[in-house]
Amino acid sequence: MSDHDHDHEHGAPPNPYHDSNRSEARNRELTERVAKLEALLSEKGLIDKGALDRIVEIYENDLGPMNGARVVARAWADPAYKQRLLDNATAAIAELGFGGLQGEHMVAVENTPEVHNLVVCTLCSCYPWPVLGLPPGWYKDAAYRSRVVIDPRGVLADFGTAIDDDVEVRVWDSSAEVRYLVLPERPAGTEHFSEEQLAALVERDAMIGVKKVQPA
Amino acid sequence: MNAERIAKPEIAEMEDRPALPRRSGELVFHDAWERRAFAMAVSLAEQGQFEWSDFQRRLIEAVASAEEGDPLHPNRGYYESWLAALEAVLSEKQLLERRFA
Repeated sequence: MSDHDHDHEHGAPPNPYHDSNRSEARNRELTERVAKLEALLSEKGLIDKGALDRIVEIYENDLGPMNGARVVARAWADPAYKQRLLDNATAAIAELGFGGLQGEHMVAVENTPEVHNLVVCTLCSCYPWPVLGLPPGWYKDAAYRSRVVIDPRGVLADFGTAIDDDVEVRVWDSSAEVRYLVLPERPAGTEHFSEEQLAALVERDAMIGVKKVQPA
Repeated sequence: MNAERIAKPEIAEMEDRPALPRRSGELVFHDAWERRAFAMAVSLAEQGQFEWSDFQRRLIEAVASAEEGDPLHPNRGYYESWLAALEAVLSEKQLLERRFA
């Protein structure tokens, strides 16, 4: 709970289902109602406990849609799309049929030979789920969240990413309202790649900005 | 990048009103019964006891009715609406009736 209580300070459009306002009594009543339903269905052979546990596990660990690579590949392949992505990422991402954002705006930040972008959420773990799937564990760690602001080059080095001294490193702090996607640099030697081949090169970490896309 | 997913996108990625409550992607469950109710609906749909779209239609109705007064202050939790939808679809399909009463 602790980290997420920052939602409101963070300018969130609050999700009314993030907190539970139920009384103990109401909860007991619901627990019984569900237990009865489960007993009845299981008596009829329609469900079994093991299967239910497995389903919960699958959905809790589901990585979710990882559509960001296709957004990046399209931007590399189509300059007009890239411009639309940089102008209004939410709309450009929706163009490819990827939605699911709940009131958050997407902003795409472009890596160039002069600028390297890096994304963090210093207060909690705001992350563009519909584009990148579930956040990696380290993204939620206090160590990453605080250190990336103080020593971004050191953090990048830990990920094995060397950034030249004359390249500016920009750190973007996500919020409940704004989620960032890094548009990495297209690696050399991919001029004749199809969009699909390009997409296969783009890893999640490159879209958070802790890594570069490696040449094919 | 394209690791195969076992979870069904039509369930995991429902949008707008029926969207599963998530915090930066992670499912939000408050109490054990919420997980049980979630899994029962998914399991029954997987077995073809009802179509997911039938359940989803009920879920949209249930959530909409809870949010009628004020979408930011629904009068019950998401999984309470979920449970109402599950009970409705089970009763429609007569899955709760005893066959040899």
